[in-house]
Amino acid sequence: MNKEPIVEVKNIGMSFGATRALDDVDFNFYPGELLALVGANGAGKSTLIKIICGYHSGYEGQIIIDNKEVDLNSPKEAYDYGIQTVHQIINQGVIQTMTVAENLALEEMLSPDQPILYNYPAIRKRALEIASLMDLDYLDMDAPVFSIPQSDRQMISIARALASNPKLLILDEPTSSISEKEAERLFSTLLKLRDSGVSIVYVSHRLHEITRLADRVGVLRDGKVAGELVVPFSVQNIVHAMVGDIEQEPVKKEDVKVNKNVVKLELKDLVVQEGKPGLNLKIYEGEVLGLTGLIGAGKSELAAVLFGDVKPISGEMYINGELYEPENIGAAIKKGIFMVPEDRNNNAVFPDFSIRQNINMPFLDMFTNKAFVLNTRKERKEAKRMVKAMTVKCESEDSPILSLSGGNQQKVIVARWLMTQSNLVILDEPFQGVDVKSRSEIGQYLRKNIGKSTALVIATDLDEVIDISDRVIVFNHGVMVGEQEAGEIDKEKLIHLTSQTLEEILEPGLVGNVTKGVV
Amino acid sequence: MKKFNITDFSIKWGFLIVMGVLFTMFSILEPAFISAGNLFNILLSVCIFGTMALGETFVLITDGMDLSIGSTAALSVMISAYLMVVLELGGLITIFIVLGIGIAVGLLIGFLIVKVKIPDLLATLGMMFLVQGLQYIPSGGLSIGRGAVIKNGREAMGHFSEGFKYLGQGRILKVIPVPVLIMLGVAIIVYIILSKTKFGRIFYAIGGNPEAARLVGVNVNKYKVIAYASSSFIASLAGILLAARVGRGDVGSQGTLLMDAIGAALIGFAVLGARKPNPFGTIVGAIFIGMLMNGLTMLSMQYFWQDFIKGSVLVAALAFTFGISKKHG
Repeated sequence: MNKEPIVEVKNIGMSFGATRALDDVDFNFYPGELLALVGANGAGKSTLIKIICGYHSGYEGQIIIDNKEVDLNSPKEAYDYGIQTVHQIINQGVIQTMTVAENLALEEMLSPDQPILYNYPAIRKRALEIASLMDLDYLDMDAPVFSIPQSDRQMISIARALASNPKLLILDEPTSSISEKEAERLFSTLLKLRDSGVSIVYVSHRLHEITRLADRVGVLRDGKVAGELVVPFSVQNIVHAMVGDIEQEPVKKEDVKVNKNVVKLELKDLVVQEGKPGLNLKIYEGEVLGLTGLIGAGKSELAAVLFGDVKPISGEMYINGELYEPENIGAAIKKGIFMVPEDRNNNAVFPDFSIRQNINMPFLDMFTNKAFVLNTRKERKEAKRMVKAMTVKCESEDSPILSLSGGNQQKVIVARWLMTQSNLVILDEPFQGVDVKSRSEIGQYLRKNIGKSTALVIATDLDEVIDISDRVIVFNHGVMVGEQEAGEIDKEKLIHLTSQTLEEILEPGLVGNVTKGVV
Repeated sequence: MKKFNITDFSIKWGFLIVMGVLFTMFSILEPAFISAGNLFNILLSVCIFGTMALGETFVLITDGMDLSIGSTAALSVMISAYLMVVLELGGLITIFIVLGIGIAVGLLIGFLIVKVKIPDLLATLGMMFLVQGLQYIPSGGLSIGRGAVIKNGREAMGHFSEGFKYLGQGRILKVIPVPVLIMLGVAIIVYIILSKTKFGRIFYAIGGNPEAARLVGVNVNKYKVIAYASSSFIASLAGILLAARVGRGDVGSQGTLLMDAIGAALIGFAVLGARKPNPFGTIVGAIFIGMLMNGLTMLSMQYFWQDFIKGSVLVAALAFTFGISKKHG
């Protein structure tokens, strides 16, 4: 690249208390280039981004924009230099109670040049222009944002960032909660932007996206630059730079230990969404079943029914041959149906609790005597066992859970449900925001310790499912459209099944196959 | 060994040190302050709202707020007086009825919050007015004492039973006030429930992340109702202590009870750097308020300064707790 960099960062360092989050980091960002920033959780990606977008003012080192050293003290200053950021947490990027139009045109709406009297039609007109940048015209401009799906909220933040013609556009995990189709739309927009001369920084855990999009990959490890890769590169290269000397060990498909003679869980004509065909499925003893499909394919709906949170519309479920009709989540847990929910922070972590208290929470009765008094010693013993088994990196099982990195927090949450014997453990997007190393450790532990139980691993990312499943099933528009056993996994076919349109699925002839169930 | 850190140290011990310094200062400036009689006076002055604060702790832990406890205590005062003085019932049966009414109030609040889905502040504010108004109705808005003339012109001939009054006025070994012992007893029970049992763990879990609690199988609504019922139950117990102390049913006895109770519970956040509601902190907070008021009064502080000083202490304690420790999260 012999162009002049648009933004340079030099010798950037940052500490939080005793933690050195970034140390002596250099990067150049060139116009017309897409730089992917990767690294395990806690490697310093977010910190670096927050410094560049003006959020952290106490950094060490220099930031040079257009050959001039600048001092970024607030997001507003970064913004004025043409640096735009789409942050990972979607709901921080939108105002939920405002309409889609207001969110799209937030910039204009809050600008001091606005007339005193609020001119909604003008805002709406501007919003439509912005919406067209990302082909978002299908959105109801007057709907409040809290009523639209997460993925659309994400698209709104991105469209808004694009609207101000940024010089440097930073996207932090932009695809973590949007479907593959939406991601495709985002990618084509990003590539167009890049070609028009914008410098793009793209942070993602999804390495396959990166191999498709990036011109250059910057790898951070423990707060330092661990390498820079230029096209062509492979996922293998990136992973290697990310985790250093730790060899990634994909789960071997040869050691499928499923006992097909014992049906652990059976679904008979189970309808979980109005108007969809019944689902027939058997999960066998010792099986790790992967369930994939886009957002909205009906995966979470099935999980909610299995976990007793929602009643099925019709159909039956059997555990070990016995009819299973959970009244509520508590009843499901008593029947040995457990769930690691998606979105760890909002749905699983007790932020004030220690690791021990987080692990033991569903099974307090195990540690309670007749007077309901908890036996802390027994609690510690169990928690310690799980922390060790799942290689949670921590000082002790009594450390606060928030002192752990994201990947280790997720290990604690998974440990919570693997501590006791179960009939089925549902893991809904268990690898969201989890680094490659933790992910593989969790996956391996699950496979090794599944024993006579079963697991249902739900993930939109095909790779996350393929890596650990004995069998993969695909949902699309609330229909089970396909099934592949380990050893016969055909990724192209899976992608095809995942991305079929509703019409293709419902084509006569095809429907017959589906409703009979491929089991 | 961890390195000594002045910030961590002051977060943990700062409040207790300030309290100790004040205590020493009052003792030096006014030797009568440290006499056993006065120390028990301090405890006696805090035991009503201190007890209520312990109940409020349950609600605060589940991330709620109960604004009705002052009214509930006042209602208990009036009902106690009405039952004994007007209806001439015995002390024991009166206690059971009053505590029952307390639980009923709490259950109703819980119902309004978890079933009708009224936000907790609004539901308990509404109930505060409702219950406050309710206390006037039986006696037609009048205070109830022996010989009082009630609505129909009949003179009330009953009286507070001696046993009942003992709860508010008695002293064990002629020194230790019974209501203080009751407060400490409640504190110990609440401490055991919250820190040692699975119920406490569940209450804290709900306060930390209600959705996560639901997804580990906790019946969150049930526990919220239990929290409000406990809070109202303990408030009505505090009302009984107050009625027993005064020996009559004065209307409007809620006074500043609500604010003092909530203040004590919130000051409790700062004790030992807990940053969350906890029974030990609540008791220390209550005693701190009482000690400060008592000490300053002895040093001739004028009464109209009281609320201002209480407020300042509360704000300072909260600023200290959250302001310093947030960087340490």
